[in-house]
Amino acid sequence: MDAAALAQALSQTSFALTLPAATITRLAALAQPKSLASGATLFREGDSHDGFYIVRSGHVVLEMGIATRGRARILTVGPGELLAWSTLVGDSRMTATAIAQDDVELLALSGRELAAACEADHELGFQIMRRIAQGLSKRLLATRLQMLDLFHADASAATGGWS
Amino acid sequence: MSGPDTQTPVGASVFLSLSGLDDLIRSLKQSGYEVVGPTLRQGAICYDRIHAVQDLPRGWTDRQEPGHYRLERREDDACFGYVVGPQSWKQFLFPPMSTVSLAELSTDGWRVTANDGANEPRFAFLGVRACELAAIAIQDRVFQQAAYTDPIYAARRERALLIAVNCTQAAPTCFCESMHTGPRCSSGFDLALTELDDGFIVEVGSQRGATLIATVATVGVTDEQLQWAEERRSGARKQQRQMPRETARDTVLGNLQHPRWSEVAERCLSCTNCTQVCPTCFCSSVHEVTDLDMTRVERERVWDSCFNLEFSYMNGGAVRNSIRSRYRQWLTHKLGSWHEQFGTSGCVGCGRCITWCPVGIDLTEEVVALAGGST
Amino acid sequence: MTTPNAECRSTSGCHVSTVTPANPWAAHSAEIVAIEPDYAGVATYCLRLTDPARAAYTCQPGQFNMLYLPGVGESAISVSGYDAASDAWLHTVRTAGQVTGALERLGPGGKLALRGPFGVGWPLMEILSTSASDAPRDLIFAVGGIGLAPLRMAIEWSIRERAKLGRLTLLYGARTPSTRLYPAQLDDWRQQGIDVLTTVDRFEPGWTGQIGVVPDLIERLKLRPDRTTVLTCGPEVMMRYTARGLIARGVDPSDIWLSMERNMQCAVGFCGHCQLGPTFICKDGPVFRYDRLAPYLDIEDL
Repeated sequence: MDAAALAQALSQTSFALTLPAATITRLAALAQPKSLASGATLFREGDSHDGFYIVRSGHVVLEMGIATRGRARILTVGPGELLAWSTLVGDSRMTATAIAQDDVELLALSGRELAAACEADHELGFQIMRRIAQGLSKRLLATRLQMLDLFHADASAATGGWS
Repeated sequence: MSGPDTQTPVGASVFLSLSGLDDLIRSLKQSGYEVVGPTLRQGAICYDRIHAVQDLPRGWTDRQEPGHYRLERREDDACFGYVVGPQSWKQFLFPPMSTVSLAELSTDGWRVTANDGANEPRFAFLGVRACELAAIAIQDRVFQQAAYTDPIYAARRERALLIAVNCTQAAPTCFCESMHTGPRCSSGFDLALTELDDGFIVEVGSQRGATLIATVATVGVTDEQLQWAEERRSGARKQQRQMPRETARDTVLGNLQHPRWSEVAERCLSCTNCTQVCPTCFCSSVHEVTDLDMTRVERERVWDSCFNLEFSYMNGGAVRNSIRSRYRQWLTHKLGSWHEQFGTSGCVGCGRCITWCPVGIDLTEEVVALAGGST
Repeated sequence: MTTPNAECRSTSGCHVSTVTPANPWAAHSAEIVAIEPDYAGVATYCLRLTDPARAAYTCQPGQFNMLYLPGVGESAISVSGYDAASDAWLHTVRTAGQVTGALERLGPGGKLALRGPFGVGWPLMEILSTSASDAPRDLIFAVGGIGLAPLRMAIEWSIRERAKLGRLTLLYGARTPSTRLYPAQLDDWRQQGIDVLTTVDRFEPGWTGQIGVVPDLIERLKLRPDRTTVLTCGPEVMMRYTARGLIARGVDPSDIWLSMERNMQCAVGFCGHCQLGPTFICKDGPVFRYDRLAPYLDIEDL
């Protein structure tokens, strides 16, 4: 994948949707395509990991280990969404294990390089961080909706009527 | 003197003496009507079966303030010298308790027979005020719709004869004038009386009224009597309270998150009094009434209130958990969304909800506060 | 299992054939011909009408019946299908309260009564009338939990009208893989060309589908927003965020329809219980256009 193809691929993700072309070009320079076969592990909970990913296609399932329960699958991440944001906003230690659920195409960026670019250019940093915040906000809403357990008997329709 | 051959036309007036009113009541009973009118009961003027003029609250009047109602003697013997009591005609047209259907179990299963209204009583209401005529017109729209009609209401309403009485005084809680629902009875009645010292000016409002008044002795009215009647009626136009009729709808619907709702909720007891005395409130619930072997089950509809917590209950809990949200539902419905639902405000300005509120909450004051004005 | 042809919704709603006002308290006699367990606590009751007036009964996708168990009470249940073989109307019910509990105890052969159908169903005729041959309308069914029941007849209708419609997508969120409604039908629908995307709140061993919520699925969807109509049914919170997600993706709020629930007793707008803002959920809904209801959905306790 050459630079133009990477920029093209990046611009098609919802992450980069409204970024200026110049910013996309700069980001594309930091990006590499990455493919995962179904079942492949991208990173493990507790790993120190430098990658930061945007999903182009396919699905990645996140799991957390619980001593008495084994691995609990908690979330599926799909096209347009971010993976391994701890690389940028945390301490680079992964908070979940990521496993390809099907064949997955990613754009991979080096967390260190991206962080350095954000530090050097705060306008770029703001754009990136805003998008990460938006991604996290969506993830948080989804987590809340899951936590509300809306489909559990007493939280939903009385009568089985229309919900 | 008029007879069947020379009926008083609709729109015209005649004079009816006090004894003539007695004759009218007797005539109604003979025609098969249950005559209901004002009576003294438990320290209030309540609507009940009457048989003669002597059942009326002659010489009594009511004194009303927010959260206050007392009867007092008048200086005269007027039959209708009060304003409105806690009850309205709602309790006769939309009874507090009525059977809507009967289910009977046989080997074939349940057979449900809905009340079609055929056995509902035939009422003659004596003493319907202008605001109450307006309230009946509003409930007509609620219970008689294109797709469905409430059979009990429709049957009682269709049969009911309405003898209105023009108010000659207003309570401090009245605001019908600002709601354009009174104090003058202008339509929707069969007969409308204005009480004078020695009898009544009777205005004929319908053919049914013309037929009825022809059954008793009346005389023509003099210009002087008409003038006296006008003077009497003008006494009801001195009203202290007002509702900003043109803006109330937008005020309540446009301020759903106003802090005033929390303030009024601190006073409101959620006791449901306002909804019970309101002549237009129509909320109800249905209960099962079974016989001992569970083969014969009646469904009984009873008045309910949006102030009851269980009113909005769905499995999992109530939608309106706070008094704030329940008071807001009542007032926004009454003054706001009622317009969209029924093409009219749900308030007729009778003031009952103000008088009978144990803590004297005044909806006209609430609307002004919601609009941002001082109270 | 089949459904009758769904001729639904003139602009004035589903009561167009009613000339004289009807008595809302009239009820059909009914019996349970079969009970199909769906998952723990949820079952589909196949109800056959047995009274002489039964021939007049018909109902549109999205409408509901009041199931009446004399002596116990009534419960509003949407109609989720019709089985021609047994001449039975299907009602998928979660056993939750007194009435549904008593219904469960009745068992097959049990006798009850039924009032209905009530309410305004899904805008199927409107969808067809705006589905042009050169730009057929895409339909998204965004469903949560038992909310699939009121949409089942609409989904089956969309399969029958497949040729006149664009892409058909079912986004279905359930609590767990084993509490998905109609799992066999989900597979059938997939075979018949509906893109069925399921997601669950909680993983169970063996599940290879997605974990997450319906708004997540909307994020990932390839949409043609200008020709998309969305029918959604599920818990109110889920529908609210589903609608917001769709609108953020460019779907017009007037192309989103949702089915609401409130306490219902009379089912015709007389008892006052089910009001939300100016609407009576029972007679103005339960299906509403999102933009008409949106002002009232975000106000707590309204």
